[in-house]
Amino acid sequence: MQMNLLTRGPERWRKKRVAFRALLLLSIVLRFVIPGNAQEFRLFQHTVQVHGFASQGYVYTNHNNWLTMNTSGSGSAEMTDMGLNVSTALTDKLRVGAQVYDRELGRLGQWHPSLDWAFADYRFASWFGVRGGKVKTTLGLYNDTQDLDFLRTFALLPQSIYPTDLRDTTIAHSGGDVYGKFDLPRHAGALSYTVYAGHRSDSMYSGYPYVLTQYGSFFHHYGGLQYGADLRWETPLKGLLLGVSRMDQDIRGDGENSGFPPLQTSKQPKGLLLQAPRMDEGNLAQGQAGWRPVWEKSKQDWTNQFYGQYTRGPLQISSEYRRYFRDQIILSGMAEDLDDIRGWYVAGSYRVCKRLEVGSYYSHYTVSNTFMNPPKDPDLPANHEYDKVITGRVDLNRFWNIKIEGHFIDGFGNAPYPAGFYPQQNPGGFRRNTNGLVIKTGFNF
Amino acid sequence: MEAKRQTEENMTKKLKYIVMMVAVAILAAGQARAGGVKVIANVGVPANSISVAELKSVYLEETNSLVDGTHVQPVLEKGGPAHEIFLKEYLDRTDPALQIYYRTLIFTGKGLMPKAVLSDAEMVAFVAKTKGAIGYVSSATPAEGVKVLEVK
Repeated sequence: MQMNLLTRGPERWRKKRVAFRALLLLSIVLRFVIPGNAQEFRLFQHTVQVHGFASQGYVYTNHNNWLTMNTSGSGSAEMTDMGLNVSTALTDKLRVGAQVYDRELGRLGQWHPSLDWAFADYRFASWFGVRGGKVKTTLGLYNDTQDLDFLRTFALLPQSIYPTDLRDTTIAHSGGDVYGKFDLPRHAGALSYTVYAGHRSDSMYSGYPYVLTQYGSFFHHYGGLQYGADLRWETPLKGLLLGVSRMDQDIRGDGENSGFPPLQTSKQPKGLLLQAPRMDEGNLAQGQAGWRPVWEKSKQDWTNQFYGQYTRGPLQISSEYRRYFRDQIILSGMAEDLDDIRGWYVAGSYRVCKRLEVGSYYSHYTVSNTFMNPPKDPDLPANHEYDKVITGRVDLNRFWNIKIEGHFIDGFGNAPYPAGFYPQQNPGGFRRNTNGLVIKTGFNF
Repeated sequence: MEAKRQTEENMTKKLKYIVMMVAVAILAAGQARAGGVKVIANVGVPANSISVAELKSVYLEETNSLVDGTHVQPVLEKGGPAHEIFLKEYLDRTDPALQIYYRTLIFTGKGLMPKAVLSDAEMVAFVAKTKGAIGYVSSATPAEGVKVLEVK
């Protein structure tokens, strides 16, 4: 695993090309060979639908490498993802399906496909249904659709609430959901609910395991119990949705530590991350002599999220607030790390005409961490990220779009819990401000 | 005193005028609705009427059965005047918003893409031969082999 995290050679590019070609070929077959608009076929008297998506991004920043890519300099195109699903209704009430997802985002993903969701869904009535299997986690407005770029105006969702490098931490659980929707009396709108419990399992190619490599820790398992609920109210005011989500987790990670930098306690001096040695193969070889087990586990881990969305014709305004609190025993019990992360955003988008949509948002992120930075001082750039964003989206047709997006970021949120800017890609330290350009194109069928 | 009486009379006249205009607008809207699209169903569907809320729930895949327990399957047109009127009248959504809604369902595993047809004639033909199918066509389209549901 350790070597895989560092592999940058031709093998990765070969995998990428093969995956691309396979999906492209499948898309062509489904779009042009199978007649009609629906991508479906018959199997044992059931109609099976096939859908997929893919996107390719390019990111340039003037300072600070972002999202584990080398975005400064000439920018990076290591931002690709794709998904493919099949679904069918076995009976009037029972539906089954599965989706495979794969991505490369700088050092994350690295073309290791994952089962995104795979479940059976039995709906007894509109007010009561159950799902079992691997299920996307309902948390706020966009958690379960955060990979689906084509559903929204923006190339990147507000990173204060939906950090793309940490998608694995909230994206799905293996377990079950109970859900439903019912009308309220006296024309008071409708309530939708989801209650869930299951096991979260992070890819080792996701942001949190990756950020730990700066300490010489390489995890081979990270996950645990995840349970929670979501309640959303379609208010009597047409187009207005209000909601609240709660998620609790009990997480454990196990791995190995190479012995460098030396394991430290909460007395660790500020700024260690900037002085950490680069993780290259030479360092790894040096560390391999002294591998030792390392673990961490939750004492507390919860998320509260409140949200609202208003849609009127071509206008959509949305806002969310999330507080994520994590009290984690780390370094095999040698230290305790408390992260109190608060994020909110306000976003607006407007469809100017059939082909063009514009949007903007302000995303506000602060982190209070007891392990490295002076806590409760959000004014420090290491403790916040304030991102002003403007986006244009052009729909070339119903299935293909192009987006161009500007980010103006104050701060770099460099705590042991990552927030987009990683010391591994910024060994010389961080600058306070980062301006970023994201160009992204995607299609779906 | 006289001036006050005069003012009250004027206000009453204005109020009557506003009420009359609102009534005319409501009647006109009712005419347009009745003259826009009709909702059709396979003859095997026992119901003769459907509420707007029920119709919306069926098309948004929140339910796949009517209050009497009959399993139903929504059918869409890919475009055209009947499609536009139906979305505006009964689903409160634009076509792009509806497409986003369905894609949210199919890419999170929470639903399937409904059958979509190209024309009123194709809609009538598909609904006529498909058990439980519910669709819509423009009011002028002959509904041969299907039943027309009253929307309440």
